[in-house]
Amino acid sequence: MEITIDQRAHVTVVAVAGSIDALTADALVRAMGEQMHAGNTRLVAAFDGVEYTSSAGLRVLLATLKEARQRGGDLRLAAVQERVLRVLDLSGFTSILKCYPDVGAAVASFPSHHS
Amino acid sequence: MRRADDGAGGSAPRATAARRSVPRAHLADLAALRAFVAAACAEVGAPPAVGEALVLAADEVCTNIVLHGYGAAGPGPITIEVDRADDGARVTITDEGRAFDPADAPVPDLAAPWAEREAGGLGWHLVRQVVDELRYERRSGANLVTLVKRAT
Repeated sequence: MEITIDQRAHVTVVAVAGSIDALTADALVRAMGEQMHAGNTRLVAAFDGVEYTSSAGLRVLLATLKEARQRGGDLRLAAVQERVLRVLDLSGFTSILKCYPDVGAAVASFPSHHS
Repeated sequence: MRRADDGAGGSAPRATAARRSVPRAHLADLAALRAFVAAACAEVGAPPAVGEALVLAADEVCTNIVLHGYGAAGPGPITIEVDRADDGARVTITDEGRAFDPADAPVPDLAAPWAEREAGGLGWHLVRQVVDELRYERRSGANLVTLVKRAT
């Protein structure tokens, strides 16, 4: 699984590619944690390259979502593949975090001014 | 041994279940186990949606075995068998770790607001959502989990 960080003006895009399972989820939760501890709490997880996730991936999303929101930011998803979206849906995750069709829309959904 | 002739035409289904054993299973084995289940389901003629469901369910079961099944004794064996079940497939996962009945897993509260959502029980919840049958048996010091997914 590969993770690429793209710092935009007011949002950090974390692009993930590959399969997220109990082995690879560790690297993702660490990457997300590093961003938040650096003060980057407006996060977009770009999932166009994620072909599979188990509940391990859901755990990472939930933990990241909670911390980001508690720090005044948010985690939003972009370009989630159908197979992964089904898993999010079955777990009730589509009602607690926002999914956008592409990275541009997800980035634009964050206000561009700093509070 | 199972009879190879099901009269459906095309290539005959395999005579015995496809089987993969890992003597000391680690998280690093999950990807290969998923690939095995996917290939074995395709081999018995199950449609892609069946393979997809059983891959996820098997991953969740194996993850639990690796993380919670053997404890301080260190990694232990996992055996997966795949065979045909009607127009779908059956996956049987065996391990020799501590007894764990899926019925004892916590049930996630899907309606809880984000701040109160817990991660516990998500794996087994997904298993139940994607398969048609989930059976658990404890037999001679082993856990047997049977997953069945049909095409229709």
